[in-house]
Amino acid sequence: MSEDNNDKIIIQSQSSESISGGGSGSTTDIDYVRPAEVGDQDLYHGHSFITKWVFCQDAKVIGVQYFLLATFTGIIGLILSWLMRLQLGFPELASFMTAEHYYQFVTMHGMIMVVYFLTALFLGGFGNFLIPLMVGARDMVFPYLNMVSFWMFFIAVVVLLASFFVPGGPTGSGWTLYPPQSILEGTPGSGMGILLMCLSLILFVAGFTMGGLNYLITVLQARTRGMTLMRMPLTVWGIFTATVLAMLAFPALLVGSLMMSLDKILGTSFFMPTILQAGEVLEYGGGSPILFQHLFWFFGHPEVYIVALPAFGIISDLISVHSRKNIFGYRMMVWAIVVIGGLSFFVWAHHMYVSGMNPWFGFFFATTTLIIAVPTAMKVYNWVLTLWRGNIRLNTVMLWCLGFIVTFVNGGITGIFLGNVTVDVPLSDTYFVIAHFHMVMGIAPLMVIMGAVYHWFPLVTGRMLSEKLGKWHFWFTFLGAYSIYFPMHYLGFIGVPRRYFEMYDSPYVTSAVGMNEFISTAAFIVGAAQFILIYNIIKSLKTGKPAGKNPWQANSLEWLTPSVPPEHGNWGDRLPVVHRWPYDYSVPGAKEDFITQTTPPSDVTNSEVEKT
Amino acid sequence: MHPGIIFFLVILGSVLFHIFTPWYWTDVASNWGSMDDTITLTFWVGGGVFIAVCLFMVYCVFKFSYKEGRRAEYKPEDKKLEKILTWATTLGVAALLAPGLIVWNQYINVPKNAIHIDVMAWQWGWQYRLPGEDGKLGSTKIKNINDNNPFGIILEDPNGKDDILIQSDVIHLKNNRPVKILLRSVDVLHNWYVPQFRAKMDAVPGVVTYYWFEPNKAGEYEVLCAEYCGVGHYGMRGRVFVKNEEDYKNWLQEQETFSDLIAKQEEIEFSKTKLAKK
Amino acid sequence: MSDLKIEGYEFKPGYRGMAEDTGSAQTMFKGVHWGKAMMWIFLLSDTFIFSCFLISYMKGRGSTPVEWPNPSEVFALHVGGVDVPLLLIAIMTFVLITSSGTMALAVKYGYEKNRKMCGWLILATAIGGLTFVGMQAFEWSKLIHEGVRPWENPFGAKQFGSFFFMITGFHGTHVSIGVIFLFIYAYKTFAGHYDERKRGWFTSIKGDYVEIEILGLYWHFVDLVWVFIFAFFYLW
Repeated sequence: MSEDNNDKIIIQSQSSESISGGGSGSTTDIDYVRPAEVGDQDLYHGHSFITKWVFCQDAKVIGVQYFLLATFTGIIGLILSWLMRLQLGFPELASFMTAEHYYQFVTMHGMIMVVYFLTALFLGGFGNFLIPLMVGARDMVFPYLNMVSFWMFFIAVVVLLASFFVPGGPTGSGWTLYPPQSILEGTPGSGMGILLMCLSLILFVAGFTMGGLNYLITVLQARTRGMTLMRMPLTVWGIFTATVLAMLAFPALLVGSLMMSLDKILGTSFFMPTILQAGEVLEYGGGSPILFQHLFWFFGHPEVYIVALPAFGIISDLISVHSRKNIFGYRMMVWAIVVIGGLSFFVWAHHMYVSGMNPWFGFFFATTTLIIAVPTAMKVYNWVLTLWRGNIRLNTVMLWCLGFIVTFVNGGITGIFLGNVTVDVPLSDTYFVIAHFHMVMGIAPLMVIMGAVYHWFPLVTGRMLSEKLGKWHFWFTFLGAYSIYFPMHYLGFIGVPRRYFEMYDSPYVTSAVGMNEFISTAAFIVGAAQFILIYNIIKSLKTGKPAGKNPWQANSLEWLTPSVPPEHGNWGDRLPVVHRWPYDYSVPGAKEDFITQTTPPSDVTNSEVEKT
Repeated sequence: MHPGIIFFLVILGSVLFHIFTPWYWTDVASNWGSMDDTITLTFWVGGGVFIAVCLFMVYCVFKFSYKEGRRAEYKPEDKKLEKILTWATTLGVAALLAPGLIVWNQYINVPKNAIHIDVMAWQWGWQYRLPGEDGKLGSTKIKNINDNNPFGIILEDPNGKDDILIQSDVIHLKNNRPVKILLRSVDVLHNWYVPQFRAKMDAVPGVVTYYWFEPNKAGEYEVLCAEYCGVGHYGMRGRVFVKNEEDYKNWLQEQETFSDLIAKQEEIEFSKTKLAKK
Repeated sequence: MSDLKIEGYEFKPGYRGMAEDTGSAQTMFKGVHWGKAMMWIFLLSDTFIFSCFLISYMKGRGSTPVEWPNPSEVFALHVGGVDVPLLLIAIMTFVLITSSGTMALAVKYGYEKNRKMCGWLILATAIGGLTFVGMQAFEWSKLIHEGVRPWENPFGAKQFGSFFFMITGFHGTHVSIGVIFLFIYAYKTFAGHYDERKRGWFTSIKGDYVEIEILGLYWHFVDLVWVFIFAFFYLW
């Protein structure tokens, strides 16, 4: 094409000042970092309350907005789970609940927690806040688009919650939204409910795409001088890879939602075969319900890793900082994230072993699924090996990390049960599945979120959270959540099917009544314990200990901004220059047990400097 | 208290819970004991890894907790260790996968002598159809379903005439004889699941799905719907009786065939017209 | 890109150079404008959307029990007493591909800072796109007139109508959005926003001729997708 006209651009150095950076003033050869390729980013600074805090283009503020809105929807999801547990544990107290309500709560709880809480929180919340800081950028590359992304998410949440107030209520088709039942009478919310759900998902995908483009291009094209891909903190790697997955997986959800809306509104038959309902043959005919399941899980399985990979990344950083030790096997960790991300597109039908798809797929998908266990196991080994011979600070953040390891290993191993095709047959659609996915993508990522909140709260607000309250919060949450989901596996072994409003007097479950009461009680306590965090945050905002600069003595760039909390533009008048990876903890011969990423080699003459 | 102690107690508690749990799977009543074996294998291998990793973690927490002035080890990588761990994990995973695939191969290949059973699901109930003397089920069409033809059998199909129709959610099976469950649904997704038989498969409208098992323990079992199918999902139950040969035959003879049903309806029709004439 | 120079960075040829670029600091795609990189990734995501549509179409066509209508009859145009199969569609495809050519020229003149030529070519592209959408509207109304609806189809399987309207509609929306942006960019070009590096209305980012190339990428993509839709609907 006409690219030749583009060829004569010569990209010039942006900074004429000392090329060594880091402020050491030394210009020795070992400190040389090549000059910037692109000019400094041109930012729009807000000047009124609205442009500073509402329609704000600063990624950090957008990150906090995402965090708060996602937490708000998460609390709604939590309340719905309480109502479900009330029905399951103490049905006599839940006389106000009908089966319709129960199924609506199940559906909304699932969808809110997976998409509107976890995805939005990890990618929108932590992604926005941390990516520019950690790669040394002034902001996301397209701040305006980033702002629109948040407000699309806002509208998506409003549409989702609006479905509680329409005739028929929200959809009650399970978070998987399987047709034909999701749009037929006989399922609660099969009218407006399901349409609003589809619309909300489409809006979410559109909004997320805008944010996702930002995260990707910021990581790919806007890193600071000296910041190579292999010097990025694993947090950035996790969020980056998860965003790639999201960009390629959400299209399937978008297409599925659109086609289902058309089936509902226009009466097309994409997913609808000939159906006889209440003695009448409906107008539909010739469609394939399993097609929707393929579309849904082509999104749904990568979605698991969209939540898990940022969690993997963040936890690696937290463990490393608080064990005062480099993350063990950094390169292996990076490759594991990338390989898991790639493989996650070839395993989706393991959710469909008993769906009636061609049974020969079982062989293929069981194999790919178990292959994915290998890189995942490597990550677990590397986390515990990071603890080995570390200098572990047993503070609140580290407790969350340890809690994550226990719950993640537990949930990962039950994943091997469900991924292996025959082992899955007796267990699928039972409480074993519920226990598995709550352990691995509910509790484990939640542990990471909490750890991350305690870790980065000082950066966001400039004050520390209370350690004492934090420890109470942790033990209630960890012990409570573990005692909810560990015994629940055994309900699955008995064969109790999921999504049962009540069991009547089924002979398999009379023995399970006691366990259900126990689980429900634990669920109420764990839920209530989350308010400790809210209290802690409110209290610490006012009276918390001032954090000062770099309270955890961490290496990565986000702690090295000229002002804490960082201002719009992050870096004052000079971008940081990176000389090393972010894991130089306890380097032999160095003065202190950490060497920040911006410390030039000439400042640490006695120590062995790592190679990456 | 040192946090390591609590983590240790959590691991110990998990093991004790497993040993003393009153909640465990029902006795298997079909040939799919091999599925239980794969679960047991995965359980011991996985459980072992879980305990090993967690105990290692607890050990580290005790041994290497923070001391002022101490330095952690600086060791970015250990290629040899990483290689060993990768290969050991790969081997372990392959050892779990192989039995799974072998049993799956049995699961999808139905023995030749299996009795075919048409399981028809709707919101919210089941009914069944067995082949008659000819051993073949007649073909069906959803649009044919009406009060006179509850299974939608195509009238022109000669195989359908002697089909045995069971318009009830109770079905009897012959002990020690494989059955092939042919699932179809007239409306939404369902799943015919008996926990003791271990096997399950979704019924999908528009297609016929299948699975097989061989009941090997006489008795009464409960059928549960295992795929969410709307608001009545939790009430969609049925019963299965596994009977010895003689009882099964007696039961079978009491059931009505499709031609019986047609004859009965013609009789009713005939008497109706007669009444009308009078 | 052989003439691109970056101070302190040495380009190497082949895969080695690619690996080196990937491993280097600051940027992975050297000298690539942020917006251009963004458009490429967006198009990758969009490719997945259209792939999902077309794969669903294949699955839907395969699983319906009713016969699929014959495209050369359904899409025939009655001209001068004879049915000419695929006539309209051939013209539509020709128009769209031609507009891709004018778009490419517009990008070239843009980089040469030839404001007039660039503007006129963008306008030509927009008009090509508009013609395409117009002809598509004509085809839709013809089919609707013959009784084809998303939910029914007198010529055979009802999924034919559903998939046809949905996929061509989704593609048509892409073209229409492209046309709107083409008109805006034509205005901005004539008004000299790119020469003066005037800030964008909303984004407050300084204007640059590279924006025309970015829009061009989108436009070529829309054409490419059309080729696939053409093959799947009209030739299969």
